[in-house]
Amino acid sequence: MPTHSLTLIGQFLQRELRNRFSGSFSGGLWALIQPLVQLAVYTFVFVHVFKARLPGSDAPGFVPFLVTALWPWTAFSEAILRSTTAVQENAALIGKIALPRKVFVFAAVGSSFLVHSLGFVAIVLILKLLGQRIDLAGLPLALLLYVPLLLLTTGLALVLSALQVFVRDLIQALGQILMLMMFAAPVFYARESLPEHLRHWLDLNPFTFYAESFRSVLLGYGHIEAPRLAIAVLVAVAAMLIGSWFFRRLDRHFEDFL
Amino acid sequence: MTHDAALPSVLVQASGLGKRYPKVFHRRDRLRALASLMTGRRGVDSIPVLHDVHLRVRRGESLGLIGENGAGKSTLLKLIAGVLTPSEGSVRVDGRVGALLELGAGFHPEYSGRDNVTMSAVLYGLKPAELRAKLDEIIAFADIGRYIDEPVKHYSSGMVVRLGFAVVAALRPDLLITDEVLAVGDEAFQKKCIRWIEDYLGGGGTLLLVSHSMYHVQKLCRHALWLRDGGVAAYGDVFDVTQAYLAYQERKSGEQAARSQKVDASQEFAVIGVALNGVAADRPTVLECGADLQVEARIHSRDGRLPVVAFGLARADGTPVYGVTTEMESVAPVRDGDTFVARIDFPRLPLLPGSYSLRVHSMDSEGVRAFDTVERAITIRGESREFGLVRLEHRWPDAVDRARRSDTEVPDGR
Repeated sequence: MPTHSLTLIGQFLQRELRNRFSGSFSGGLWALIQPLVQLAVYTFVFVHVFKARLPGSDAPGFVPFLVTALWPWTAFSEAILRSTTAVQENAALIGKIALPRKVFVFAAVGSSFLVHSLGFVAIVLILKLLGQRIDLAGLPLALLLYVPLLLLTTGLALVLSALQVFVRDLIQALGQILMLMMFAAPVFYARESLPEHLRHWLDLNPFTFYAESFRSVLLGYGHIEAPRLAIAVLVAVAAMLIGSWFFRRLDRHFEDFL
Repeated sequence: MTHDAALPSVLVQASGLGKRYPKVFHRRDRLRALASLMTGRRGVDSIPVLHDVHLRVRRGESLGLIGENGAGKSTLLKLIAGVLTPSEGSVRVDGRVGALLELGAGFHPEYSGRDNVTMSAVLYGLKPAELRAKLDEIIAFADIGRYIDEPVKHYSSGMVVRLGFAVVAALRPDLLITDEVLAVGDEAFQKKCIRWIEDYLGGGGTLLLVSHSMYHVQKLCRHALWLRDGGVAAYGDVFDVTQAYLAYQERKSGEQAARSQKVDASQEFAVIGVALNGVAADRPTVLECGADLQVEARIHSRDGRLPVVAFGLARADGTPVYGVTTEMESVAPVRDGDTFVARIDFPRLPLLPGSYSLRVHSMDSEGVRAFDTVERAITIRGESREFGLVRLEHRWPDAVDRARRSDTEVPDGR
């Protein structure tokens, strides 16, 4: 990628982050407060109201179980939602200045991943401080898992943002689809909690691998199998390639439809 | 410097360039367009806005784009700037483009001028290191004082243009594209911009300018392209093209005026005919600079009373140049049957090249009330770098010396 594009992505990313935090009263602190509040709510609802327990004798507490999958999910779903409208929202700029349009998508995905992966690190550390059984040695590996997830997300985002230019109601449908996808992945529950005959259906959901792998490296709950890792990386790379092709195909015509 | 080379390299090359916008009114249309784009088939209903444009701009040249609203000027600029994708033909630009397509494009209203300068400089392709070196220069050029640290939403449109132009000026682009943005700034800033552009052109820069001001086009460009209904109506030397365009404009407004104003024979005094240099037809008269002009006006007087006839010359934009009436100089129109004829000669008309109109008014015998007006367009041809409307008689007491010192053109008061 040419340096100009990289500089542009850097600029738009900075601006995204500023837009998110500078207008708000608490500024950058909000990035930390939000996950903490969310965590408190989930702890209350799942641990104290639903009395959720995980199957297995050496199962981790429900809160770290939830956190390790929910934070990557938030990064994924927010990146998708933000980037889908990224091209459309920058229509004014696209019509006036010649610049590679994919930088808008990259900046939107990038900012979501940056905010939520930092939040992820913070919350993992907080849980550790609170005495949860977390393997901090697995944290670098967990961050490495964000790489294929980022590729997968960017690939999907390129397709969706290009489609959104033509089909404006895509973004409405997307909220529903993402919710469905979240509940169809082992985010709030463990694979083992499902009836036997439904369990393998989970593998059709690309996020299943990530939810289970994050838990595996940080909590030692389940383990990453090499073939599944290979498939996940392959899917991520394929998504990125297809996304780039799709975007490039429609890119030239955005201005006519915006 | 590139412009010293015998034949400078081609910077912009467009061949068979055309643009059609797809017709998308319904959601169905958008889906169909999407499908045909993905499958690579054509067949989306579209509206042509530009067709078959060939142009070539060499490094160091300056080209003015003129034409009426909706003629396709902005579309052509956007195609060259790379913002739009051509539907037909191709366009190639070999260099860094600085395009001022719209007021404050790329500015975010919530951010300060300083932040926006940073952002738009990066958008235009300035590297962060270059930007750091040039930031002060940009802010000094914009010259908007303490406003530089206020959000852009508090700016006047003039300030936005100042900032936008300052950024592009700092880019020192190979090709500068401006779309009628100079018209917004105040006079001092306009002058500053024009000075900058002249300096930029002098340094081998290349300019593409869209303007409705023939003055700016003639001042800054050596070539012009006139777009009419999406096609090239004329392309060549700036004086020939602007004059052809102005003549066309006047013919059009003349037709409109003629439609709206039928001869009203019931008027007490009606102008029923005007002939310029013996030609009575209502079409623009083209004169060489310094040629003679003879005007003959025929007035119908309902009651047979003697009319007063006024003749006036104005520039195309309405600025009066000169006006005189028969009554002022005690001349009586000559009776010819039931009409009166007034004639006036302007020997060696000193108007500078450009477009003018001649108006003939019929007035009552006392020269108090005007009854009827007929207007004729006059185009003065010729090349001149003098300013203003008329060539005033003048001489240079030191002219001999100057002529020897340099080869600059010495107006001789032809």
